[in-house]
Amino acid sequence: MSQFQAAVRRRADIPAVQRISGPANTAINIFFAIYTLLCVFPLVVVLIASFTDERTILVEGYSLMPEVWSLEAYRFLLKDWWAVVDSYVVSIVVTVVGTVVGLAMMSMYAYPISRQDFPFRNVFAFFLFFTILFNGGLVPFYLVYTQGLHLQNTLAVLILPLLVNGFFVLLIRTFFANTIPKELFESAKIDGAGEWRIFTQIVLPLSLPALATVGLFTTLNYWNDWFLSLLFINDTDAPVTIQFRMYKTLLDIQYLSANASAYSAILAANPNFTIPGETARMAMAVVGIGPIIFAYPFFQRYFVHGLTVGAIKG
Amino acid sequence: MTPQSPASPPIQKAGATAAEAAAEIPKRNAASRVLLHFRKFGAFYIMMAPTIVFLIVNNYIPMIGSLIAFKNIKFAYGETLVQSFLRSEWVGFENFEFLFRTTDSWIITRNTVLYNAVFIFLNTVIGIAFAIMFNAMRNRLLAKFHQTMMFLPFFLSMVIVSYLVYAFLQPELGLLNRVILPFFGIDNTTDWYSDPTWWPVILPIINTWKNIGYYAVIYLAAIIGIDKEYYEAAMIDGASRWRQIRVITIPLIRPVIIVMVMLQIGRIFYSDFGLFFQVTRNSGALYETTLVIDTYVYQSFIGAGDIGMSSAAGLYQAAVGFVLVLLANWVIRRISRNDALF
Amino acid sequence: MNMRGKPRQFFLWPLAALLVISMVLSACGGKEGGEGTTSSQAPSTSSAAPSGTSESGSETSNLPPYELTIYFPGTPPKDEKLVEEKINEYLVPKINATLDIRMIDWGQYDNKMNLSVSSREPMDIIFTASWNGHATNVAKGAYLALNDPNGPHGNLLEKYGQDILKAHDPEFLKGAQIKGLNYGVPALKETAEQGGILFRKDIADELGLTERIFAAKTPADLIPILEEVKQKRPDLIPLHLKQGETFNAHYFAKYDFMGDNEVEGTVLKDGTEAVVKPSIEHPRYLETLRVTREMYQKGLINKDAATSQLSPQDALRKGNVFMIVSPLKPGKDAEMVANSSLVGKVVQHGMTTITTSTGEATGSMLAISSTSKDPARAMMFINLLFSDKYLNNLINFGIEGIHFTRNGDIISRTDQSANYSIGATWMLGNQFLNYIWDSEAPDKWEQFKNFNQGAHYSPAFGFTFDIEPVKSQVSVLKNIYKEYVPGLETGTLDLAKADEFFAKLKANGLDEVIQEKQRQLDEFLASKK
Repeated sequence: MSQFQAAVRRRADIPAVQRISGPANTAINIFFAIYTLLCVFPLVVVLIASFTDERTILVEGYSLMPEVWSLEAYRFLLKDWWAVVDSYVVSIVVTVVGTVVGLAMMSMYAYPISRQDFPFRNVFAFFLFFTILFNGGLVPFYLVYTQGLHLQNTLAVLILPLLVNGFFVLLIRTFFANTIPKELFESAKIDGAGEWRIFTQIVLPLSLPALATVGLFTTLNYWNDWFLSLLFINDTDAPVTIQFRMYKTLLDIQYLSANASAYSAILAANPNFTIPGETARMAMAVVGIGPIIFAYPFFQRYFVHGLTVGAIKG
Repeated sequence: MTPQSPASPPIQKAGATAAEAAAEIPKRNAASRVLLHFRKFGAFYIMMAPTIVFLIVNNYIPMIGSLIAFKNIKFAYGETLVQSFLRSEWVGFENFEFLFRTTDSWIITRNTVLYNAVFIFLNTVIGIAFAIMFNAMRNRLLAKFHQTMMFLPFFLSMVIVSYLVYAFLQPELGLLNRVILPFFGIDNTTDWYSDPTWWPVILPIINTWKNIGYYAVIYLAAIIGIDKEYYEAAMIDGASRWRQIRVITIPLIRPVIIVMVMLQIGRIFYSDFGLFFQVTRNSGALYETTLVIDTYVYQSFIGAGDIGMSSAAGLYQAAVGFVLVLLANWVIRRISRNDALF
Repeated sequence: MNMRGKPRQFFLWPLAALLVISMVLSACGGKEGGEGTTSSQAPSTSSAAPSGTSESGSETSNLPPYELTIYFPGTPPKDEKLVEEKINEYLVPKINATLDIRMIDWGQYDNKMNLSVSSREPMDIIFTASWNGHATNVAKGAYLALNDPNGPHGNLLEKYGQDILKAHDPEFLKGAQIKGLNYGVPALKETAEQGGILFRKDIADELGLTERIFAAKTPADLIPILEEVKQKRPDLIPLHLKQGETFNAHYFAKYDFMGDNEVEGTVLKDGTEAVVKPSIEHPRYLETLRVTREMYQKGLINKDAATSQLSPQDALRKGNVFMIVSPLKPGKDAEMVANSSLVGKVVQHGMTTITTSTGEATGSMLAISSTSKDPARAMMFINLLFSDKYLNNLINFGIEGIHFTRNGDIISRTDQSANYSIGATWMLGNQFLNYIWDSEAPDKWEQFKNFNQGAHYSPAFGFTFDIEPVKSQVSVLKNIYKEYVPGLETGTLDLAKADEFFAKLKANGLDEVIQEKQRQLDEFLASKK
């Protein structure tokens, strides 16, 4: 196998051949500078709003330099700070475990269906693809996990449903099929390598960009999920993700805004009913984002050219 | 090797023995062919096993539930859902009616499809453009920085986005009417939330801004996977940068583009609920250009969740997307077989 | 350059991860499995009907132990477990049952309840209301009939709910029935409703408008007053409206929707006719639209009224709103601004007849799930909420000494009040048993009683519309409703749109719905005779 390991060299960054002209580079830089501003600016507004006094927001709207600052939103949110920390831990565990296991499962499925010489590859591809489009609805899904597997209120139920995403599997398959030359397989087989070795020692190392991409998206999927917590977690002691904890209130607001007669009835019966104000919602957004911002930089270092085929060809 | 049966062909020409001997193997019985298949591909099946189990439990078993769309379920009929299901009556397509008997069914379908078509187009074109630009930037550190920033909108939930948009578009105090437009000399008092005309522009902008990070990264990963030897050869041939992009980069990421577009086509009847419901503040006056299937269905069920009807709606959306993907896949197969989804 | 080391890692990762997961799962799974379980894993008892013990209140500790679950909306409070323990201490000797309070946030309540009902999870007591899908759930078979002598559990109300029957006006109980059967026990609270306005008395006094406001009888009378407010105090929003809280709201213009307030077809609550018409065909609808539109055009209404999600309460509390429209009951003004900076500054003014309709009878009920394993026990508990003052206040306000201090029937806040503040008094049984906060009127319940009596009964009282026969049309109409009504009723849309609205309704099955509603109403009225 050594000639292949020799051939597989990690290369960082773009080779000199692709340098572009000075003016073009400047133009691109300016463009992205502006675009980045457009992306960062709203977040800054949210951040500042979360530190603003509620009244100021209601009367004057959002601004970058509010008249009255206040920590009230965070005080409200973190009243139960232990629960917040707990949810953070849950989110992190769920995300890490889910991403690692999910990535493993997905790439192991993508590999066979990417191989041209596997006669049933299209059957299995379809088997997977069908699930992207069709689902039986919320209730049967709910039943399977609660009355079928009895996983409500567990950590497992926050991980399992998101492990395999057909979309991502097909993406990985496309990468496998198009960036790994067939000759590699043939030569490897001639050298006596079994499928597992080929998979782990050739295919995976050469597909780092693809794996990093799907790894990143899976991480984001897990981190952003609040739906599973909503569906399956009923006990106040059971684990919930941080997004859910933050999003609960926003859901209340959404429900009430869609359901005017319910809102009306609740207000009629319970005049003290209030929902957290704007600043609290902004604070929720900030707390919910948290460490995930670092996800991209983390995966980014795997975005490298994983291959020179040079030594193989010719 | 089991001995040949007496009825085997008599004499074989010397030179042809090897080939013909090899050709004899497929004539063996089916069982040994299966065995051979598993000897060759056994590892594959083991690799796929966990996911297969997962898909069956997580996806296929619940799929049986779509039959609920064709029944009128009465829970009193049984102690469990399955019992109630089995004892309730079949009602054919009755649960689908509410999707079609409205004078709005054309509008919701048109809106859903058109918006998604625009989204697919923008996601692809802008995603690829960004990816190419990122790949070309000289300062790698700056490139990485911008890539990270581009992702930030993705982390904001649509509810928060709706507040930001509101701050921007509010009729009296919003940034647009109060600051930006007067800057350009336009004195505008349009109530953006009552005028449906501009939302076909506003919504794609927001959708792209929020999601482009996703697509740019996918295409970037694809571009990085391109063997640099192609570019080296092109340089030697004297091709300009533009030419390189047209002739090398894009064609070589074509498989990825096709997969991405096809998968989005499969979802063409679904919409981002948060975008169409929250950001528009569900303003009735905008329905003409903002009502889509998902928000329509959601609204129909407020206060009374009819499980049969919601199941029907889901089935309808899935079926249409499915047919379209099959069509698209068939077309792609004619053009370049290997790029097809299946 | 040697890749040998790295690939192994790839292999090991999944394995290690699997190991970790299985350990984590077994740890967590075990812990959760032991403690709180979703579906109450109570020992399955057949509905206990101990002979001779049909009166509640008698110590029936020869009953097998049972865990009751009660589901109602709201944010789960911090001290839930603490209060539950105290409740159980008291409850076990009484009916040998423990209570598990399951509160579900508003935003998830419908979803989760639908899921639980659809998957037939064992549940006992569930909060339900006409505006929360009660009729539909009944049609689905989610709830037990509580007074069906021929039902599988007999007439639960008579057997175990004597205190309920004593507390309620029998006519009122009948008003909550569907096809002659009660599927939920209505809460005992204010049974009548009046439409009116709440306004800032301090500002009105300043401007000398208070007398005139109290003299106003119709919305049109308010126009000159609001104009003056706008002129003299341009920093204020004269009138804050939002969808459902306008002069055309059901509680103000008195439309009886007989069920879901967004399904067309109404009779007038303050009238006597039992003729179902689309709201637009009642003369007052268009007239009110006209008045509201005039107000909007004169700048007297908040510009974002059609899409505003700000509740009238919150709007008032913002401080820059002068007047809001609201359903009224005695002491509403004090309740509205309790715990805010506006205490004493807001006053209410009723502008309509006081009426009672099915909505009041069905606005808050406790149902027993058809999946309950011991409906008799559930009924016993509900009965206690109607008779046992200690229990009712315990579950509503928390533990005396910790969450509140008491002086007779008046209670005051402590610094721990926030740890158990569920705001559910209106959902849990007999409100007349509740203690009164020191910020409210001490004779609150007296005032209520007076308010309830002498109310005018809607001609459709007792009738709830079953949408099942026309459910597709109803779904379609809901979307059209959402398209026009918020804009029209807040004065944002021009009146010409009202015709458009009506035409669209007609084109999408309005007539069928109206006919069906009328048919059902006639049937109901005939059966009453």
